[in-house]
Amino acid sequence: MNEILKVEALHKTYDIKKLFKPTLKLKALSGINFHLSKKETLGIVGESGCGKSTLAKVLTKLESITHGEIILLGKKYNDYLALEFHSKIQMVFQDPYQSLNPRKKAFDIIADPIRINTQTSSLEIDYLVMEMMKKVGLREEFSKRYPHHFSGGQRQRLGIARALMLRPEILILDEPVSALDVSIQAQVLNLLLELQVEFNLSYIFISHDLSVIQHMSDRILVMYLGRVVEYGSRDQIFYNPLHPYTKILLESAPKTQKSQKTHGKTLGQEIIVKGELPSALNLPKGCAFEPRCPYAKVSCKESVPDLEIKQGREVACFEV
Amino acid sequence: MKIFFSELYFELKKNRGAMTGVIIIILSLVIAIFAPLLAPHNPTEIFSDSLRLPPVFVSGGKPGFFFGTDDIGRDLLSRLIYGSRISLSVGFSVVVLSLITGTFLGVMAGFYGGLLDRIIMRLTDLIMSLPSILFAIVIVAVLGPGITNSIVAVSIVAVPNFIRIIRAQVMVEKNRQYVFAAKLFGAGNFRLMFVEILPNCIAPLIVQASLGFSDGILNVAALGFLGLGAQAPMSEWGTMLSDARSYIESSPWMVTLPGICILVTVLSFNLLGDGLRDALDPRLKKQN
Amino acid sequence: MSNNLLEIKDLNIFFKSDKNPDPIHAVRDLSFSLKQGEMLGVVGESGSGKSITNLALMGILGDSAIVRAEQCSLNNRELLNLKEHEWQKVRGGEISMIFQDPMTALNPFLTVEYQIVETILAHLNISKGEAKNKAIELLLQVGITSPKDRLKSYPFELSGGMAQRVMIAMAISTSPKLLIADEPTTALDVTIQKQILTLIKSLQEKNNMSVILVTHDLGVVSEFSERVQVMYAGELVETGRTSEIIKNPKHPYTFGLLSSRPGAVTRPAKTPLASIPGIVPAFHQRPAGCQFNPRCIHVLEDCKLGKIPIEHFVRCLHPMKETIV
Repeated sequence: MNEILKVEALHKTYDIKKLFKPTLKLKALSGINFHLSKKETLGIVGESGCGKSTLAKVLTKLESITHGEIILLGKKYNDYLALEFHSKIQMVFQDPYQSLNPRKKAFDIIADPIRINTQTSSLEIDYLVMEMMKKVGLREEFSKRYPHHFSGGQRQRLGIARALMLRPEILILDEPVSALDVSIQAQVLNLLLELQVEFNLSYIFISHDLSVIQHMSDRILVMYLGRVVEYGSRDQIFYNPLHPYTKILLESAPKTQKSQKTHGKTLGQEIIVKGELPSALNLPKGCAFEPRCPYAKVSCKESVPDLEIKQGREVACFEV
Repeated sequence: MKIFFSELYFELKKNRGAMTGVIIIILSLVIAIFAPLLAPHNPTEIFSDSLRLPPVFVSGGKPGFFFGTDDIGRDLLSRLIYGSRISLSVGFSVVVLSLITGTFLGVMAGFYGGLLDRIIMRLTDLIMSLPSILFAIVIVAVLGPGITNSIVAVSIVAVPNFIRIIRAQVMVEKNRQYVFAAKLFGAGNFRLMFVEILPNCIAPLIVQASLGFSDGILNVAALGFLGLGAQAPMSEWGTMLSDARSYIESSPWMVTLPGICILVTVLSFNLLGDGLRDALDPRLKKQN
Repeated sequence: MSNNLLEIKDLNIFFKSDKNPDPIHAVRDLSFSLKQGEMLGVVGESGSGKSITNLALMGILGDSAIVRAEQCSLNNRELLNLKEHEWQKVRGGEISMIFQDPMTALNPFLTVEYQIVETILAHLNISKGEAKNKAIELLLQVGITSPKDRLKSYPFELSGGMAQRVMIAMAISTSPKLLIADEPTTALDVTIQKQILTLIKSLQEKNNMSVILVTHDLGVVSEFSERVQVMYAGELVETGRTSEIIKNPKHPYTFGLLSSRPGAVTRPAKTPLASIPGIVPAFHQRPAGCQFNPRCIHVLEDCKLGKIPIEHFVRCLHPMKETIV
């Protein structure tokens, strides 16, 4: 079976309780559908508040599902036992300064996943840790050091090593390079590409940085305020975007080469999107992007557009 | 952890007050450990021919009794030296007892939140709403006077400080990404609380422990003074102070000397505690 | 005497520290100038010295810093000799600055109105009522639609983009000659980044203001600034017209930065990026010779010795001749 993860009509709602005020419902995710195939990278892109971090937490079971179903290797999420689940899906976090316990040595950080979950002998753990450190490009003598001795890039390598120790099939990468310097970003991205081939990994790559998403992904999911607005292959999204939000996102990303704006032709001229993200507590009745959309019509205010297949990909817009 | 302490020492060395505190504490530790060698007499031995002798450097003093003797003829210097054993071990026991209970309850409250948190925090509020010494007196009155019971009472009074500090720290730490990462590789709650989170909360704990030491000594001495702590013939400083108070006018040294001992010990722990707070604070900020 | 607004020659910044006997040399021999109404992009990673230079220009480096320069003048007035009360006139008056995180730069306990009016009153001799009118006018200028309502807001009620607009309004309230924007959009989303940068650009042109735009993103510089200087490990390594440098970077570091950008070059996805090996050296472990030599793939023996001078706007003995594809 090629498809290893399937997300069906996923909803996540938070209750915001305030003293003396009625409880508010914050819809962090509404009706998310996607699937992930073996050895594939699915890029998830969107701005802050679009729900991509919530999605990462739900996918790793750090948060519960409100509605809907996630199926991992043909089995529902809720049917998994802890160990079985953790050895299928792991995560690399955004901030390499917060995601490593400052009081633990590099060796222990990498070794703990095995120590907790298996009965491996300490000799074998030694071997496995050293092997993994080599694979992520960390020298053996670093194993005795504490996280604050490492640079940002090295810390992120440590985080990747830890995530791979249980040999997961899916790795969720939550903004793995956005806290790193430009010259280090490329090193880490290259490492991720190598490891994907070596360990047959499937990636869910979450980022706000379009150029990184463009480089890493096979297929892309564009999110806006907890909803999917466009879902298609890398080439469809980057060279022929259909949803106005996707277009504007691509247009806004700073580029060094003007000639690269291949999507410019569909846009005609440069548009600066007006306004900012509305509050997720007070979503518009119609399309969530309508208040900022340059193509909005009256009908956009009235109902939420569904995802429909148009030109080979899924788009949620009335005007396409 | 080793680096943590060497850096801590580096910061602490720059603080003169804290270093003075450290030196006095080490000195009193040495005195307490080698008390049998240092004390000229047995602290309970009664010299019936030398009642209420003044110190040697005051006219009327005898060379054998450096700080003089008390109302029933026991050597004051020896009693003070042996008293340091009691005070330091009392302080230590109080800190250990309150630290362990306080840390455990604080971590549970901070980590689980909800109902458990509310119950624990309301209990601490209850304890803290009474003056600590008054509450300790109530407990000793129930348990009965004695040094062990007063240690228990003083420890109970000290627990809320630890609970509050550790709870606040745990609530910050539990939302850090390294805790999520540990959850993802299957670490259980016990491991999360005590292996992952707790080591990152020790900085404020160290400060509170050192301040708790002085509070403990002071409170047990106060109970001793009120007659609820150590019982005769134990040479506890607070009890000595209390026994001597009827002679405050005729033999002032009997009151002054134990008083000074309590003052110096408590002050040195407070100096160390404040120094530790200063040394650890910038580190705390850097970590955030 | 020169016609340049800002003229800096051989700026050196050191930091004393209690752990090391030798002061840290954070910025070395930095020279550059800026014309009235010009925008200069400054690109560099952490540790490149770009932010420290800005703080020195604002005179807010603190006591542990030693700033030396042959010349560091604004409008032919030497800045380094200024007394503190003279600095206070320059800072926020002739030179203004906006920061990466607008939320921490605004006082959370005071309203927007209080903070803007206070800035205006500190530098201009006008009444409170006039200052309030000016504040409204400024908010309109930075694209805030209902300025009267916004004046009553507290910073936490503003979004990141809105807060940065307020910061810009405060910065331009005294009509500064120079605006230093230190990573003004790094904390913001791309669509908001575009709005803010476009705003800064239009204010620069309208008010004939000079702008130093500090960023780590070469894309930002190439879209908004005509001139760019690239900094590495406390040194200026390359400077020139942005379009020229983007196409023909001469310094291997600039070349590496440009070719390691994902998506910047038309290359198939999921192929390895050309990356720069190693990391920026720590302040107390700076190498001899060219600062970039331990990471440079074209390094030769003479790169490891002595001071490397800037020739033809690039600090490299063996400049690159290749172009970026």
